[in-house]
Amino acid sequence: MDKPLSTIALIGNPNTGKTSLFNALTGQKQRVGNYPGVTVEKKSGVWKLNPNESLTVIDLPGTYSLSAQTIDERITVDVLSGNIPNLNPSLMIIVIDAENLQRNLFLASQASELGVPIVIALNCWDIAERKGIQIDSKLLEKRLGVPVVPTVANQAKGIDSLALAVKKALSNKAIMVRPKWPESVQEAVETLKKDLSDINEASEKLSNGEVQRLIFDASSAVTDRLKGDKVLILEAINTAKETVKKGGFHPNAVESIIRFRFLKPILADIIARQATLKRAIHTESIDQLLLHRFWGLVIFVGMMYFVFQSVYSWSGPFMQLIEDGIAHVQSIASSALATTPMLQSLIVDGVLSGVGAFVIFLPQILVLFLFISLLEETGYMARAAFLMDKLFQWCGLNGKSFVPLLSSYACAIPGILATRTINDKKIRIITIMIAPLMSCSARLPIYILMIGIFVEPQYGPTISGITLFFMHFIGVLVAAPAAYFLNQCIQRKSIATPFVMELPRYRVPNFKNIYSRIYESGYAFISSAGTLIFAFTIVIWALFYFPRPASIENEIRTQNSVEFLDETRLQAKIDSTYLEHSFGGRLGKGLQPIFNSAGYDWKITVAVIASFPAREVIIATLGILYSLGGEMDENSRDLRASLKNATWEDGERAGMPVFNIAVAFSIMIFFALCMQCGATVAIIAQELNWLWAIGSFISLSLIAWGASIITYQSINFFL
Amino acid sequence: MQLPKLLLQFTLLRLNLKQIMLLNEIKDKGHYKVLKMDESQRCISRLMDMGLLPGESIRVRHEAPLGDPISIEFKDCHVSIRLKDAAYLEVDHISESAQSK
Repeated sequence: MDKPLSTIALIGNPNTGKTSLFNALTGQKQRVGNYPGVTVEKKSGVWKLNPNESLTVIDLPGTYSLSAQTIDERITVDVLSGNIPNLNPSLMIIVIDAENLQRNLFLASQASELGVPIVIALNCWDIAERKGIQIDSKLLEKRLGVPVVPTVANQAKGIDSLALAVKKALSNKAIMVRPKWPESVQEAVETLKKDLSDINEASEKLSNGEVQRLIFDASSAVTDRLKGDKVLILEAINTAKETVKKGGFHPNAVESIIRFRFLKPILADIIARQATLKRAIHTESIDQLLLHRFWGLVIFVGMMYFVFQSVYSWSGPFMQLIEDGIAHVQSIASSALATTPMLQSLIVDGVLSGVGAFVIFLPQILVLFLFISLLEETGYMARAAFLMDKLFQWCGLNGKSFVPLLSSYACAIPGILATRTINDKKIRIITIMIAPLMSCSARLPIYILMIGIFVEPQYGPTISGITLFFMHFIGVLVAAPAAYFLNQCIQRKSIATPFVMELPRYRVPNFKNIYSRIYESGYAFISSAGTLIFAFTIVIWALFYFPRPASIENEIRTQNSVEFLDETRLQAKIDSTYLEHSFGGRLGKGLQPIFNSAGYDWKITVAVIASFPAREVIIATLGILYSLGGEMDENSRDLRASLKNATWEDGERAGMPVFNIAVAFSIMIFFALCMQCGATVAIIAQELNWLWAIGSFISLSLIAWGASIITYQSINFFL
Repeated sequence: MQLPKLLLQFTLLRLNLKQIMLLNEIKDKGHYKVLKMDESQRCISRLMDMGLLPGESIRVRHEAPLGDPISIEFKDCHVSIRLKDAAYLEVDHISESAQSK
């Protein structure tokens, strides 16, 4: 039992129920990680064949082909040819959709060249049967030379026979029949292998399948891991391609032509369709409605409204519950630790707020992933991308960016997690980078505060409404060129993958798959981004708590013998002074000159810095700085009055009011564009890496800073 | 300089009534036969991997509300492709009678 388990890999086209099969084999004993060096999700689990035997199963990304155009396909080739350290699959299960044999067997045929034993799982057996498609799996097994096992993965049917077939195949190493290649291809493969071995000995170990990938694919990712002089390697590959061309085939097309020609006789008489013409009629009539140029759009808008509301407001009660819960624990801790003020503040304002700071996102994440996995499971997600694609084409994105960006309007955290539905790596990166520009609900309190004080009293509700709308729109105005720019930058490195997307047939969603999607996203968030958000909160807390010399409090209390403030107001004044003299407070004062031309005094600058963990913190911080205590919200009269009456303490503007309409807009624009959200930084680091996270923080901060200066200066100039 | 060229093109068009039709120029939904595909394009490799090869018949099924992309069906497979990628497919209309094979 102690020797390491053998590893088998699961491959298949997208939408074949591969994930369902993986879930059925491994139950909830799954591990999610990344492949070394790339952000492709690596899912593995343990499959108990029987009480005594287990196997490690790796779920490889769904792919139509091994022609490594995308990073996912490349990983599949790498794993299957044993090029990932400690991953040497001794067998692969190829999941095949019983309704679409030919296309699915193409992948199987490609995989057969890599020399790993194969077992075929003929999935969705039930749907095929219901539609009157009968497949002679025994005959197919005989012709292919490898076990073919009918399964219904979402009902866990056929798993036992699959286990038997896998055990047998592991011992007799069944290899699938391969097509006979034209002379020119055979010659090209042999010569190329020899040439590559001459360049570097390590290439001797290449399988025929890998050499084929070098010849057949326009720019194969296998090239990257060949050792030796790159120029010589490319030369050898080009020679091989020329050889194929001389045989009368285009190297990019020969594989498809030969393999499909090879599969045709194998599939003859295998499929018997009953005379009933019920074929796919179901899906087709649904598509008539859902992809209709008018009604399809109406339904789409309705569904998206539903998804948006789910994140924006329906998760509200749960978030309230978490907030109340944290507040309750805070008040208990607060009174229990009243004798040790520093520990009290660390626990209450540091640790407990830190926990609250990430747990608060869970309802939105879970609810959004419930809907996203429903949309994906049913097959609607691809339709949504189809309907919206045109809007995104020009800046290098595609229709799949729509749902993540829409969700980001509620909150960027679930929005960025939702980009997991985008399979193109480059598009996913761009979508993640612009997602923080969508005006999330945390910005709303700032808009309401500023509009409430400086726009509404002077210009009335209509202008206020327009302003609020404009504030929600400005992010998109910046995001669109940003996406275009990023696309241009990244494009140089990686060639765009074409947007050829299958519109799968509609299915009844599988409960287990939905559950595991939701669980995975929540777990990944808590374990990875959650810890970071917690750490950010503690650091910012310390920055604004220390140093705290008792002399400050004593001095204020002595002064008070003249001013006679009541205890609450006295405490508020003490807190305010402590904040001013904290490291963070001094930092804010030091940085104020940078924000001077945006119209910010040191108090606003301090509040901007203090709001790094979350934008809405600016309001509570302003409350403390104006000696009103930290319990202020955007509707507090005291806070509004204090802001209105605030004046510059010194400098050339001494005595003039700090806040006016120019400053109000400057603050709103800054918060619309900035990245004052530790949680977003953390989630980008989790989903991409630290480089992107820090890069986006710096660039968005610069954009926000520049835009706030432009805003302030131009309003002052015109008014 | 342009005129003779245009005239030449016009006469050629009149002579050659059955002109080349590209998939992105299709106005009507319905059945078409794929005549030629530009193999050097990545999107074409992808379609070929999915089983779309020259000679295959396709059905143009939907057009997105904004006119792009379109969806085509071949061999029980329904895919969405952008017009700029569809331009690499040369097709011919299949008449009503030929459809009901």
